[in-house]
Amino acid sequence: MIYDDEIETLPREALEALQFKRLQQTLERVYALVPFYKEAFKKANISPEDIKSLKDLHKLPFTTKDDLRESYPYGMFSMPINKIVRIHASSGTTGKPTVVGYSKADIEEWAQLMARSFVACGVTDKDIIQNAYGYGLFTGGLGAHYGAEKLGAAVIPISGGNTKKQIMIMVDFKSTVLTATPSYAQLLADTIEEMGLLDKINLRVGVFGAEPWSENMRQKLEEKLHIDAMDIYGLSEIMGPGVAIECEAKEGLHIWEDAFIPEIIDPQTLEPLEDGQEGEIVITTIKKQAMPIIRYRSDDMLIIRGVNVFPSQIESVLMEIEGLAPHYQLIVDRVNNLDTLEVQVEVDSKVFSDEIKKLQSLQNQIQKDIKDLLGITTKVTLVEPRTIQRSEGKAKRVIDKRKI
Amino acid sequence: MKRLNQISVFVENKPGRLLDVVEVLGNNNIDIKAISLADSSDFGIVRFICEDPKFAYEILTKNGFTASLTEVLAIAISDRPGSLARVLKSLKESNINIEYMYGFSAKIKDYAVMIIKVSDLEETIKCCVANNIQILSQSDIKSIV
Repeated sequence: MIYDDEIETLPREALEALQFKRLQQTLERVYALVPFYKEAFKKANISPEDIKSLKDLHKLPFTTKDDLRESYPYGMFSMPINKIVRIHASSGTTGKPTVVGYSKADIEEWAQLMARSFVACGVTDKDIIQNAYGYGLFTGGLGAHYGAEKLGAAVIPISGGNTKKQIMIMVDFKSTVLTATPSYAQLLADTIEEMGLLDKINLRVGVFGAEPWSENMRQKLEEKLHIDAMDIYGLSEIMGPGVAIECEAKEGLHIWEDAFIPEIIDPQTLEPLEDGQEGEIVITTIKKQAMPIIRYRSDDMLIIRGVNVFPSQIESVLMEIEGLAPHYQLIVDRVNNLDTLEVQVEVDSKVFSDEIKKLQSLQNQIQKDIKDLLGITTKVTLVEPRTIQRSEGKAKRVIDKRKI
Repeated sequence: MKRLNQISVFVENKPGRLLDVVEVLGNNNIDIKAISLADSSDFGIVRFICEDPKFAYEILTKNGFTASLTEVLAIAISDRPGSLARVLKSLKESNINIEYMYGFSAKIKDYAVMIIKVSDLEETIKCCVANNIQILSQSDIKSIV
């Protein structure tokens, strides 16, 4: 469904004109107000006037997670602190967090984009939204909350965790929408099943994001909870949840192009790729005031022995193996200057065998499938059920122990 | 019923995990009649025989363990040199493969009791009957103290 008729149905040409106008404004803004960008543009020998169309975007330098860390805490802000009304920070796996600031207009725009996202994936103002994203420095909780209020739905700000209470409220308040990370949604679904309450819940839509998840996980959640499980995408450095959303077709995400310009680049050559090719996503914000970001390279990807690895690729391998539970963790380390990747997978009764050789062949199969897909050798470890931490906020699918 | 239900439990290969399994069994008054531990580099499988395997299975899964019930045979072998060889020879002649085997700690009269998991259960039972090899039932297990 559509929330903002005018902007969501703009013809391509008008949309691109709008994008270019907003890009120019953004570039002028960061060039004048953010020393980091002034320096970066000069180093790349480019100024905002050199960008004459959207096609010139690739001439601009990238912004990386490291750049954000180095400007900790307020170095990327383009506004004085008295114009900032909210500060979020993302939990870094290593070192300092990355800090994001929002002006009043940014918060309003974020709520608008989030409301559009809800409507696009089938949520209405009549829904009761149980918001189990964590509230706090993490953008998930408040981002979804403001969007739900903007839409006019009833929002239950329960935050993550406290699983038994979540379920009591879900049953008693007759929640119709669950917003959560997919791994927490799984934990909730498993617990509801264990408590024998699957027929007592009223959910119809799940809006899950902040972590990679697979088509198989979607199926499992949809079957168990009788919901439409929708993927939502966002990253705090860019804004938070609501950057992109799935519609009823469930065939991929729609990015809100009036606020963000996406590019797909080849992670080796860093050159933009044609439509339809797979690569790394790079996002430029064109509507943000307090902290615009130019060509942000999101860091979801792991580089292991020079090979780009996305956790979702490993997950897709695991999900294709009959009976395997979607509970896994990737542990990256560096031993004798060599990256190692360990894949820990929980063994539940569906794949368990009383013969060692069958379990070993399961290990070998996982190892081989990953090698076939990614070309890297992994150590596959089978672990007992419920030993991999179920995140109640954002899942720790990856533990990177490398000290670089 | 010639077949026995064996419980198999998945354990990670780290200190205390076997203890966790047997503690749960002890706390629920489950008597282990025979037990073996098979191990690989990072995990192991605890296999054991008890009086009421279905109850033990329920207790273990309720306590979060991954467990399964597997049909095995308990064969009684006279406790004299060469008797195991005689049994295995009969099985070999029937082309039966043994996946794994472990012994009972207690003796029954003059017999040693071995638990075997085989490739073909039906064929093994036939072979044992034909060769006069005694197979114990679940109720026989009860009488082992």
